[in-house]
Amino acid sequence: MKTFLYFLLFMFLAVIVIAMAVILGDTGAWYFAWLIGTTMIVLIAAAGGMLLDAQDDHAAEEAAEREATAS
Amino acid sequence: MHDPSVVDLSRLQFALTALYHYLFVPLTLGMSFMLAAMETVYVVTRKSIYKQMAQFWGKLFLINFALGVATGLTMEFEFGTNWSFYSSFVGDIFGAPLAIEGLMAFFLESTMVGLMVFGWHKLKAGQHLAVTYLVALGSNLSALWILVANAFMQDPAGAHFNPATMRMELASLPQLIFNHDAQAKFVHTSIAGYVTAAIFVAGVSAFYLIRHRHTELARRSFRMAALFGVLATAGVITLGDALGFIGAQAQPTKLAAMEGLWKTEKAPMPFNLIAFPSQKDETNHGQIQVPYVLSLLVTHSTDGTVPGVDVLKKNAAARIENGIPAVEALQKLSADPGNSQAMAQFKAHEDDLGYGFLVQRYAPDVSQATPAQIQKAAKDSIPEVAPVFWSFRIMVALGLAMLAFFVMAVIYTMRNNVQHKRWFLKIAVWMIPVPFLANEAGWVVAELGRQPWTVYGMLPTWMSASTHSLGYMIFSIIGFVALYTAFIIVEMYLMVRAIKQGPTPIDSQPTLGGNDNPALAHAEA
Repeated sequence: MKTFLYFLLFMFLAVIVIAMAVILGDTGAWYFAWLIGTTMIVLIAAAGGMLLDAQDDHAAEEAAEREATAS
Repeated sequence: MHDPSVVDLSRLQFALTALYHYLFVPLTLGMSFMLAAMETVYVVTRKSIYKQMAQFWGKLFLINFALGVATGLTMEFEFGTNWSFYSSFVGDIFGAPLAIEGLMAFFLESTMVGLMVFGWHKLKAGQHLAVTYLVALGSNLSALWILVANAFMQDPAGAHFNPATMRMELASLPQLIFNHDAQAKFVHTSIAGYVTAAIFVAGVSAFYLIRHRHTELARRSFRMAALFGVLATAGVITLGDALGFIGAQAQPTKLAAMEGLWKTEKAPMPFNLIAFPSQKDETNHGQIQVPYVLSLLVTHSTDGTVPGVDVLKKNAAARIENGIPAVEALQKLSADPGNSQAMAQFKAHEDDLGYGFLVQRYAPDVSQATPAQIQKAAKDSIPEVAPVFWSFRIMVALGLAMLAFFVMAVIYTMRNNVQHKRWFLKIAVWMIPVPFLANEAGWVVAELGRQPWTVYGMLPTWMSASTHSLGYMIFSIIGFVALYTAFIIVEMYLMVRAIKQGPTPIDSQPTLGGNDNPALAHAEA
């Protein structure tokens, strides 16, 4: 249920963002938008990969701490 | 006079070759930037898993790239062989971006692909990353130029017809390049490629996660694909709207077909969610409408009206009548280029020259065109509504499904538990064909919606084709279908084999530049 609510929330946010872009866009400077947008998409995807490594490291540290506390 | 069957077969042949080619192109456009993102993480973190990812997905990229080039080569020649009058009529404008596209594809893109594939042991990590970015840039810039050429066919800006040479000539290169349709279509198409690649990477990664194979590579690939995809899908939807907004002004007949709009109504106009358009009766059967939405979508206001087929046909008939003197003047100028009276007549009616050509299909001597023939030509100015209407809805529905998929994918992957959601991973695998279908549907909307024109409002399709024999067309279509189907079978076989094989140990060999950190690589393992 919690996941479904998150899904609804993020879908709502996506629709709001798209609607804002639509209102502002019309005949926008799309070549420029492509340059900025592509850079952003590539960097956010790259950051997502790095964040996964950080999450894994954090989980491993927590597991080690729990193990140390238990022993 | 062209044989209508030859024109139809020429259209069919171009549609088939373009649709086959377009199965490969979007994955190349998107995968190249996904590779760049993966390699960027490798260069920043020096973790060998990211190099392994870049090499593994690079192998799949290469299979797709090779077949994309093979299917694209023939299309450049097809303009000359099957559309010779079109090539002669607009060659001055269409030829330049097409040539630049060829240069981009064969020099920048192909050279850099070679360096990317064979350069892992020759280049330092930073140098190789620069090469990967150049591959991505080359692929997408190549698409830019072909879409600039295509945008000229949709909205002929930056050119004029010269009665002295009897062909169109380029008047403004900036107008051609910065055509609104070109800008929106390039970004829409390029980002649709990003979505295609993101779904492909997520789907294949999900396949590995379901089978508990290459999980480290698959988790990271899935995470990056989910973020890449959710942003790209939002961009595609935004640009799709922009393209519709621009199209409403430049190609109102295409928009009427997309929306199944037969009658012009008062604002705010309803949106046909579902309908079964009948071209014969010029009405929709079994339609389900959503009030207000069409005006909002197309004009971005509640009081904007969108012209329906009824108004557009009347406008076309008026423009045909105005275009007939332009065609007559052109025939006189063809016989006597110095005829100043004919030139004055042409100048007075040149805006509707293309509409004059429309009626020439039924009345070779346009001065003898009857009102019935003019009405018939006006009816021709409306594209086939049903296929455009449904292709548009399929594209939009699949786009929204992909947005929902990526939002869910981001939620699960950011919680770092996507590997435990087997039901969702199975959906991810089944999502792989979805963007390909959406891309094909988008092509149908854009190109079938442009009919009956090759160059909108200027050159009718019936005039544009070459005068081949029926036998030649049938023979070449069968040849193309057989060859391209073989290409697709080869692609599927190689892709499935490479995916089943997974990343091989050879892929993770260090570079001669010594940029791998063995300690980190060991820690990763």
